[in-house]
Amino acid sequence: MVDTTTDTRELVRIAGRGALVNITIDDSAPIEIACRTLREHLGRERRLYSGGEVIVDVGKRILLHDHQERIRKVIDSESGLRIKQFWCEPEVLERERERIDNLIELHTPISDRMNGNGRVESSAPTESDLEQMPAPEEDVEDDRQEFAGAIAADGGRPGVPADVVRGTYRAGEVHMFPGNVVVVGNINPGAQVIAQGDILVFGKLRGLAHAGAGGDATAVILAMSSVGPQLRIADYFWDADPPRAVAGRSRTGTTDGPTIARIRNGAVHVSPYLKNYSIDHGGNPNER
Amino acid sequence: MSGKTIVMTSGKGGVGKTTATANVGTALALRSNRVVVIDTDIGLRNLDVVMGLENRIVYDLVDVVEDRCKIEQALIRDKHAGELYLIAAAQTRDKDCVSGEQLVDLCRRLEADFDYVIVDCPAGIEQGFRNAIAAAQEALVVTTPEVSAIRDADRVIGLLHASEIRSARLIINRIKPEMVRRGDMLDASDVLEMLAVDAVGLVPSDDRVITSTNNGTPVVYDTQSPSGREFVRVAARIDGEYIPMIDPVDEQPTSIMDKVRTLMGINRKASAHV
Repeated sequence: MVDTTTDTRELVRIAGRGALVNITIDDSAPIEIACRTLREHLGRERRLYSGGEVIVDVGKRILLHDHQERIRKVIDSESGLRIKQFWCEPEVLERERERIDNLIELHTPISDRMNGNGRVESSAPTESDLEQMPAPEEDVEDDRQEFAGAIAADGGRPGVPADVVRGTYRAGEVHMFPGNVVVVGNINPGAQVIAQGDILVFGKLRGLAHAGAGGDATAVILAMSSVGPQLRIADYFWDADPPRAVAGRSRTGTTDGPTIARIRNGAVHVSPYLKNYSIDHGGNPNER
Repeated sequence: MSGKTIVMTSGKGGVGKTTATANVGTALALRSNRVVVIDTDIGLRNLDVVMGLENRIVYDLVDVVEDRCKIEQALIRDKHAGELYLIAAAQTRDKDCVSGEQLVDLCRRLEADFDYVIVDCPAGIEQGFRNAIAAAQEALVVTTPEVSAIRDADRVIGLLHASEIRSARLIINRIKPEMVRRGDMLDASDVLEMLAVDAVGLVPSDDRVITSTNNGTPVVYDTQSPSGREFVRVAARIDGEYIPMIDPVDEQPTSIMDKVRTLMGINRKASAHV
């Protein structure tokens, strides 16, 4: 970047190069302060920037959409410049793209993925649109198409991928999977398992389980024990009632048998999982 | 001679790492092993006090890794326990003074000369912890039957497995048999089930530990002390001897009321809810 100003620590630096103007905004400053400084700078030399194009360099900052709009508004109102493009450090873009890919992976309802259509625009997180960032793309989509196709060709029932994990999830461990998760072992307190589909635990569920993480409210959590302090299904949230006795003594009223959690009437419903009550038939008929 | 390095760790502070290190180290030495214990809690050294060797420190761990002395000069010999040596931590420095590689190098050199190198790990899971576990082939995880200590032990076991220390065994410290029988404290079996590792010692809570720590005499010398006896058994198990696990809850005589309860079939046992 060309830098014609003397103070390198200035939040906003404006450098002209012919018809093209470079505005560099320090990436450590909060956006409000950056905008105010930019307004002052431009206001002071309004005549100088009455026309031409401008490139806005935001350094390592992740420019959220509304921040971008704010900067645009400032430049529009305080000068006659036209924004040619926003620019940021390439590695920031790379990292952000990766993050968004992961988010999309997790936020796409499974049915969409399995049908090979859907996702991207509707479910992509809106907070992080970078101006010049291409949507994370084709190759992922292609994979899905192939995957869905393979199932159809098989002639079998459509299913979602499942991740079968044997072993104990310990405090601090986080497992995310864009599908169903089967844990043959315990999920200890402090561990997290986040799945787009169902979570089945052949062991004790004492940590955090989040099923249907893409918004699938039909997802269930099934454990071979009473379930732990907090569950989430889609956007619903459940926590064990606080009247837990002194460490060790079991709570009254809860059985220690298999337990199922699912959404009923807009809330997470946790109940013993009894044989003969299959999930297909809506579980326990008494609850319907 | 080719010994092995064992790290004594816990995650949570104050569960008895240093006490366990001193006692297991002493008991191993009393079984005629050559043992060196290393205090890696730089800046907060305790092990020397617990072992009663505070007055004899000339050189410490930081002096060794910074080449201000030979290893032999930093080895402080315990006069009572045969071949037992201590390398003390520096009091005036901090954890960044020693790197993982330096500690690995030191332990490899000590292993050539000793049967057991026991590393007393600082609390936490930061740099000091990572340094301390870097050199170890085995780990002893100390916990107490409290949910917070168990949670931290769980995390630490996960981290040990991640750094390829497969052999992590558990010492459950400060078990109060009375409280377990009343159902107010977690049972050892609950803790073991939860952490999914093998136990190497179930140590009852014992006031004599406090006295012995203040005196600088490890409690294993006290044959009357239940915790001292258990630490002797821990050392024997580490040494490869088979000694069945003794749950302090079963060991101590039960009260009359408990016997009545057992007779009536309403013996309450704590169930894990952690």
